[in-house]
Amino acid sequence: MSSKSSPTQTETSLTNVAVISSSDADDPAFASLGASLVEIRKMNGVLGYIIRGNSSAAFDLAEGDKITQFAFLSYQLCESCLEIAKQLSVATIESALVEGKSLNVLFVNVGENKISVFMEKNIDHSGILKRVLI
Amino acid sequence: MTEVSSPNSSSTPLQTILGEFRNISPETTKAVIFKEDGEILACNEGDTAKDRAKNLAAAFDEIANHSEVIGGVENLTIQGVNSQINVTTTNGRYLATVSSRMADEKRVKALTFVVLPTIIKLMDQIVPSEPENEPTDPPNSEAEKEKETTKPPEEPKHTEQLSNPHRMLSEQNFPKPPVNQFMVEKIAGLLVASDMVRVDADIVAKWVDLYGDREISQVNVETLEGRSVRCKFRPVREADSKAKGIIQIPERILQTLRLVEGKLVIVKPVIPTEWEEKR
Repeated sequence: MSSKSSPTQTETSLTNVAVISSSDADDPAFASLGASLVEIRKMNGVLGYIIRGNSSAAFDLAEGDKITQFAFLSYQLCESCLEIAKQLSVATIESALVEGKSLNVLFVNVGENKISVFMEKNIDHSGILKRVLI
Repeated sequence: MTEVSSPNSSSTPLQTILGEFRNISPETTKAVIFKEDGEILACNEGDTAKDRAKNLAAAFDEIANHSEVIGGVENLTIQGVNSQINVTTTNGRYLATVSSRMADEKRVKALTFVVLPTIIKLMDQIVPSEPENEPTDPPNSEAEKEKETTKPPEEPKHTEQLSNPHRMLSEQNFPKPPVNQFMVEKIAGLLVASDMVRVDADIVAKWVDLYGDREISQVNVETLEGRSVRCKFRPVREADSKAKGIIQIPERILQTLRLVEGKLVIVKPVIPTEWEEKR
């Protein structure tokens, strides 16, 4: 798990979870989603997640050395899905599933928080989606 | 299903397929097939803006560019409040569909991620092999006895085609084999192969023009009573000018078809598919 800190950022490590947040961040939705994701992370076949809010982010990934690649993909997934939805006149995105050749990624848009859950291909993403949205 | 912005050799079948999408899954409100450069190959809605397709392709590619960590992107499904978008790419072409969340998800995914990519792959195998010009039956002089007629594509006698869907799909995309009617002439002699007919050389030349690289080695000879046989053929010697409109058939094949000299038969070239050629 990578760890960085700066004057404007604080980082705490809760078990395997790395949280990066601005010093004045206090987002109950983010905290609630983070708690759900910690539980989801325990499921077989779930390889990790990234959650990104307005002022905070957290991740827990099995392959910590690939955090940069996962983070880029997560960000790009959000941006591209918004663009595709705009081009096809779909107003609001709730979720997206990218089926990769080796892994799947579930993207969930909950208000200001963008979540990416990385999982093996045989995992039922709809069950994870329900758990995120509860 | 109305518009195709840039029809080409492969767009018409794709347009037809998209039309079927709406029949199979009426909840699919939009479907568009486009290339990376924004060229729209088929679309089931009026708006066929090239920029839009280009932006769609770029957005999908951006995900694909960052997807090495998951082994590359196969499919993308985006769920909105009331709609869902499916995007996939096959052989440099993209398919995007928008359907209602009420749609049968399995059906939409099967159409988007399985049926169409398969058809595109098949078309890619077939289209480059097609001759550039559509088949046109050249006019024949009145002196010639042959008359060319187009038969319906269904030929129930050839039940072997039904057992091979790949071949059926391939042949549906070929130019229709020209159908020629010939008068039967019996041929005999020591040097006459018993399993080979001889066909007017001009007609054979037209087949070669029509099908280019594909080696035609057999013809289908069918009597007016419906009996048919597939056999090898060769052109009649050019010196024999009487061969116009004539097919020379050896005794053995005449017996098989229960034919006698002077009867009319229908002759079609047998066009080998790529699948057959590789066998």
